[in-house]
Amino acid sequence: MNSAAGAVSQANRAASASARLVLLLLRARAVLVLFLLLVLFSALAPEFLTANNFSILTKHVAITALLAVGMTFVVLTGGIDLSVGSIAGLSGMVAGYLITQGISFGGSIHYLPVAMVVLLAVVVCLVVGALNGWLVAKAGVAPFIATLGTLYIARGAALLISNGKTFPGLGGSVTHGSTGFTAFGQSFLLHVPTPVWMMMALFAVAWVAAAKTPFGRHVYAVGGNERAARLAGIRVPRVKMVSYLFSALCAALVGLIIASQLEAAHPATGESFELNAIAAVVLGGTSLMGGRGSVTGSLIGAFVIGVLADGMVMLGISEFWQIVIKGVVIVLAVAVDQLQARLQARLLPFLAQTGIEGER
Amino acid sequence: MSQPHQLKEREIVLEARSVTKRYPGNVALDRVTYRIYRNQVNVLIGENGAGKSTLMRILAGVERADEGELFLDGQHIELDSPRDAAAHGIAIVHQELLALTNLNVSENIFAGRELCRAALLVNEREQEGRSDAALKRLRKPMDVKAESGRLSLGYRQIVEIARTLDQRSKILILDEPTSALSTSEAESLFDVIMDLKRAGVTIVYISHRLHELLHLGDHFTVLRSGRVVGESLRAEVSRQWIVECMSGRKETDEAIAPGRAATSAEVLAVRELTLASVADDEAAQTALHGVDLSLHAGEVLGLYGLLGAGRTELVEALAGLRSIESGEILLRGKRVQADGVRGAMKAGIVLMPEERQRDGLFPDLSIRENMMMSAADGLFLSREAEIRRVNELAAELHIVARDMELPVTTLSGGNQQKVLLARCLLCSPAVLLMDEPTRGVDVNAKVEIYAILRRLAAKGLSIIFTSSEIEETRALADRVLVLCQGRIAAEFTRDELTDEGLFAAASPSIVSSTSNLRDLASGHTV
Repeated sequence: MNSAAGAVSQANRAASASARLVLLLLRARAVLVLFLLLVLFSALAPEFLTANNFSILTKHVAITALLAVGMTFVVLTGGIDLSVGSIAGLSGMVAGYLITQGISFGGSIHYLPVAMVVLLAVVVCLVVGALNGWLVAKAGVAPFIATLGTLYIARGAALLISNGKTFPGLGGSVTHGSTGFTAFGQSFLLHVPTPVWMMMALFAVAWVAAAKTPFGRHVYAVGGNERAARLAGIRVPRVKMVSYLFSALCAALVGLIIASQLEAAHPATGESFELNAIAAVVLGGTSLMGGRGSVTGSLIGAFVIGVLADGMVMLGISEFWQIVIKGVVIVLAVAVDQLQARLQARLLPFLAQTGIEGER
Repeated sequence: MSQPHQLKEREIVLEARSVTKRYPGNVALDRVTYRIYRNQVNVLIGENGAGKSTLMRILAGVERADEGELFLDGQHIELDSPRDAAAHGIAIVHQELLALTNLNVSENIFAGRELCRAALLVNEREQEGRSDAALKRLRKPMDVKAESGRLSLGYRQIVEIARTLDQRSKILILDEPTSALSTSEAESLFDVIMDLKRAGVTIVYISHRLHELLHLGDHFTVLRSGRVVGESLRAEVSRQWIVECMSGRKETDEAIAPGRAATSAEVLAVRELTLASVADDEAAQTALHGVDLSLHAGEVLGLYGLLGAGRTELVEALAGLRSIESGEILLRGKRVQADGVRGAMKAGIVLMPEERQRDGLFPDLSIRENMMMSAADGLFLSREAEIRRVNELAAELHIVARDMELPVTTLSGGNQQKVLLARCLLCSPAVLLMDEPTRGVDVNAKVEIYAILRRLAAKGLSIIFTSSEIEETRALADRVLVLCQGRIAAEFTRDELTDEGLFAAASPSIVSSTSNLRDLASGHTV
């Protein structure tokens, strides 16, 4: 290689390195925003950065994060799951019913052990998730409509279970052998709340699945180009089904955590939770068109939403303003996402420049 | 038919001067100067990918040229949209009919330019009256309130032409108008074209079908690989001139080493394969009628045919993408179960699709992920193993990329095509199906892909490819089957293959049985 060509390729390398840096900063913007919020609230509210407050904060975040991590696969396939809030409500009500009312057969009432109760609540929710998956993958119903339908179905079912009433006293009774449910949302392990452990565990599973397994790659493929995915031999319906099932599983856990924390199951639990989850997913940079995004992004998005909400409460900002600000943040996030997509498209040929050069 | 005029008497109505259009990885038009003569049937010929459709889209305002200018009646014009073009009297009837199937005939004719009463309400009565008048002028009266989705493709074409007629278009571009029509429909379309010409309309006519062109055309222009390679008047045009101009045979004759005779073991056998025709709004499926074929180890079989002949349907049926009505597919004597793409893939039949953007690539994913997509199986992915495989294949197929982790869209068309080929090869297929293997790739990449396929065949891989290019079919195939209207119309070995023979066998109106094809192949004119 002569010196002139060497200089050109060196200049190219330098230019493409700076292009990479710009892209990296844009991709990491959710982390930057989170960092800025933490600094801002720590400066304005002295009690914000205490261990106690942090424990409360992470418990709040765990709810949104669980839903968002679950929703991420669905959104990556190009779908959406509006039913997660209702599923959370249903899961709490099933657990509440089983703990306080028991199951009657053979003329007598039987109370199940807590593990059984949790399992049954999860199974009921998975049935709703399977219904979502079937409607979207097999019946060809648009995900928005399919999950809007199951949103109503699950909410209605939750209301029917108790006829609209709350099940109190989920602490259970020793005589029935139904105690222990409160541990689900209230206990600690190594000074960390159990719900936070659950969030971390599911995040880890989801991260590995997305980044390290064929399933994860198939999810991105289905969302990126469904026709091509089918032609590449990917079982598209199965990928979608698993995504909706995982979302329902996460929602079921959220419902159980909330019921356990409150020691009561209320049929309206989880209303509009789906919107927080979608907001977290979008803030994390996952495209609602599918095919682009990450589980980590959704986790960070959930933190942004949680920190923003708790911080504003601590600063004493009016509840109504909080709603407005949350909306502004979401709109800004999507606008920046579009900017990133456009910038990326413009930078890519630049990144590949030496490749084209080599071809000649 | 009109008398041929002298060239100097002809008046240029629309001229594209030195037009260039580039797509990523491909130059579609390279400084093309194209003239359209007033009140003539201007025929534009060229193989797929020659740039005909791109040129027409530029003339119709659908796309803008990167370089070059347009002149209408000697005046420089800018066309930013189809609406601009319509205002200048230029109209196009697209190859893929754009009819709004949920609307009725008159609503289609006035779509986007509705006649209004009191500037608000659609004046249906006047729209219907004018639609009726336009259709009557075309001598194709029909119920203007009929839903256009129920019309045959031929009538949809008439509706589109009626639309341009009502707009008083001076220049009408017809892009492969007969590709989806039956013979009688096509003939009545020719009457319409003659009527329009008599009424003073300038026609631009694009088609692959030689006999149509020779029947209708006044002035001929041939495009090849984005350049004008020939211009002539009807009186001076012969079939041979067209075929030679289109295929440019001198350049590539015998460029590829001759293939082997099919003496090896039979790998794939297809018997009596029948596929129902589907007239979906989006994609019409040509019916296949009792198709038989056999493929030997290491053989490269070409499927030649015109648009709508059923080539894509045949390979997609073999790949498990379409459910077959009857017939059987045997791979090494064992029946292949028809349970979708995955089943066919597992059995060893893999398809590389025609439209790689639509059916092949995942634009958000990296080159590596695109390549490994079909191979991903098991519980976990191994990044190291993948990188190793990707680098091996990139070296073998000469995929030139700066970094395999960049999005696949950063590659040129030819390299993207090789990524898809690599994906297919990773399934270790026994039979590789390729639908238009070199569509939208540049000339150098084409030659490279041919060489790769030859090498693969030499190693024992059996390949079926479809093509609408004679040049490609001749360069690549050991044996050619010609499809016409869903039937195998002829079979040629490499030695028997002639350009004219292929053309004749593929043209629907003159094919009745295989026996008289050999007469046609020896230069019989229509």
